[in-house]
Amino acid sequence: MEQPFTLTSEMRDNCLVITTSGYVNNVGGEAIAAEFGRHFEGGTKHVVVNLAQSKVVNSIGMSFLIEIIEQLQEVDGKLVFTNLDPAVEKMLAIMGLFKFAGKESTVEDAVKSFSGQK
Amino acid sequence: MATETQVHRDNLADRLSTQIGSLQEAFRKLSKAATLKDLAGQFIGVVRGIFPDADIDLLHRPDRVETWQMLVDGGAQGFERLLALPPEQSSALSTLHQTANTLCVVQRLVDKSSIGMVLVRHLPDSGYSDIDAVSLRLFVHLFDNAHQDLVYRRNEKQLIFSLNHRVLQLNSLINTGIEVSKLDQHESPQQLALERAASLTNASKGLVRVTSGGTVREEIFFPAGVPVHGTGDDNTRIATSFTFADSTYAFELFEKESRIGILPFEETDQLLLDALARQVHASLENRYLHQQALEKQKIEQDMAVAASIQQRILPATLPAIDGYDIAGINIPSKSVGGDYYDCIPLPDGKYALIIADVAGKGVPAALLVSSLHAYVSAYLESTLPLIELAQRLNRVICHASTDDKFITAYIALLSPATGEIESLSAGHNPAYWLKSDNTVQELSVGGVALGMLDMDFPFQSEHFIIEKGERLLLYTDGITEATNEQNQLYDSDVPLQEFVVKQKPEKAGQFIQDLVGDIKRFTGNAPQSDDITALYLLRR
Repeated sequence: MEQPFTLTSEMRDNCLVITTSGYVNNVGGEAIAAEFGRHFEGGTKHVVVNLAQSKVVNSIGMSFLIEIIEQLQEVDGKLVFTNLDPAVEKMLAIMGLFKFAGKESTVEDAVKSFSGQK
Repeated sequence: MATETQVHRDNLADRLSTQIGSLQEAFRKLSKAATLKDLAGQFIGVVRGIFPDADIDLLHRPDRVETWQMLVDGGAQGFERLLALPPEQSSALSTLHQTANTLCVVQRLVDKSSIGMVLVRHLPDSGYSDIDAVSLRLFVHLFDNAHQDLVYRRNEKQLIFSLNHRVLQLNSLINTGIEVSKLDQHESPQQLALERAASLTNASKGLVRVTSGGTVREEIFFPAGVPVHGTGDDNTRIATSFTFADSTYAFELFEKESRIGILPFEETDQLLLDALARQVHASLENRYLHQQALEKQKIEQDMAVAASIQQRILPATLPAIDGYDIAGINIPSKSVGGDYYDCIPLPDGKYALIIADVAGKGVPAALLVSSLHAYVSAYLESTLPLIELAQRLNRVICHASTDDKFITAYIALLSPATGEIESLSAGHNPAYWLKSDNTVQELSVGGVALGMLDMDFPFQSEHFIIEKGERLLLYTDGITEATNEQNQLYDSDVPLQEFVVKQKPEKAGQFIQDLVGDIKRFTGNAPQSDDITALYLLRR
């Protein structure tokens, strides 16, 4: 069963990697947006969101993710999702998130995609 | 020569013409703004280009709110100056208040909120002209237009988001139904349905509680470990339930989330929760039916094994007895029957003819037949007297079977050389001895069925001599009680004794064949109700 939301982040090769655990809802979305906001102000343009431990996402959580994607678009940045559960991947696809965001199997692949190694 | 008025008009026209170009350029900039704050920042930049020597504040007042909120603070004391406006100007759709070095503009926007703009010239002696006032009005209208564009774009995005969410709900509902029906037995369909219901309705938490007879058997919280409080019927909670196999499955969702706080659940949310709960109900029913089918299949496999074992217990061939012809048959009514027959040569040269019928059918009956066969074989090795054999069999069968299980049996010990027979019926149908005078004698001396009473029952046996040409028929009640489609008994239509008298072929096997044929003719298409078993001895 899905756990309450927690989040960790780290910088890897100039990419902000946000790893979540639990339900990405209003609380989860706000936490992701706040973490992103702190780094975005410092000039971070490449963001990886690892949803390996998040099997349930609601539309409020997705609205925060969309805002992050839009903010990154304005500065020619990009967000890449990784480790997606098939059900979550389908949800994000239906909501149109992959029109402007990428997806990769692993965080390593996502970081490489930004550096052009992949 | 141009007059002063004419020059003034020309200057005004030139400035306005220049500003039209600026307006078009400004609108292109402003229309890229994603938020009101962005728009305000961009707009102040444009206005500063027109009024470089002014302090400029831009404020916003939401619909039905009295206080102003600062969007851009340029040091023009905007709060104080807007509050000082006469009420009719402050609440007007569009107003401009001009003093010597100050311009205050209030403009109602498309979403019924208002912006207020205050410009204060640095130099106290340089006031604002009419052209400045007109220019400022034009730019404020420009802000209004850009704001309309922002609102429409935002509404369009929200509409697309909302439409996508509806598609997502429908898609997820269909997929969840498929996933729930595919789950392994150890996975919980109610847990998956709860997760999906919470996600699709934007509930912050949820619960499934399974109760049986007032006892809570299972509680699943979503998210895990997050306690759920509040069982009131207010609109921050929706619930549904169903009952299956004496258990009630109650689903509850709490607190519909939004970006502006907790909202009441919608009718669609209730419909979604109901639909997902129905899918769980269907899944549980399907699992139950599937489980039953598997159990039935297992029972059928066990029955097949038991039938195979029983076929090995029944004799494939009967021993050849010098001066006699013997034949037997067993046709089980189910795949595993409860009848048994055999002819066993004994160490003292005698033969034991046995026929038995276990109460009941199926695997339990087959197990008891198997036990009987083992005990009979073991006891006959030691040439026990017939009565003692019956008593021992009664005891062991009594201990080996349940209270409702017993065995009727007929046992005859034949001394082939003399034709002497000692026989005993343990609650079984009487055997028919067809004598040389063409009469039939019933042989029924014995006692109660084996295993019926746990005590040393005083069995009795009888002795007689089967002469040349005489015959002996042992049978089970599957023959006498065979029924036709009119539910009539075979023995009432064609009494078996009469058949024994009439049918006297030279071979014992032929008699058995004729008997089975006659029963089939009588029963027609009626299903076989009991095992048909017979053992026929003919002294040549």
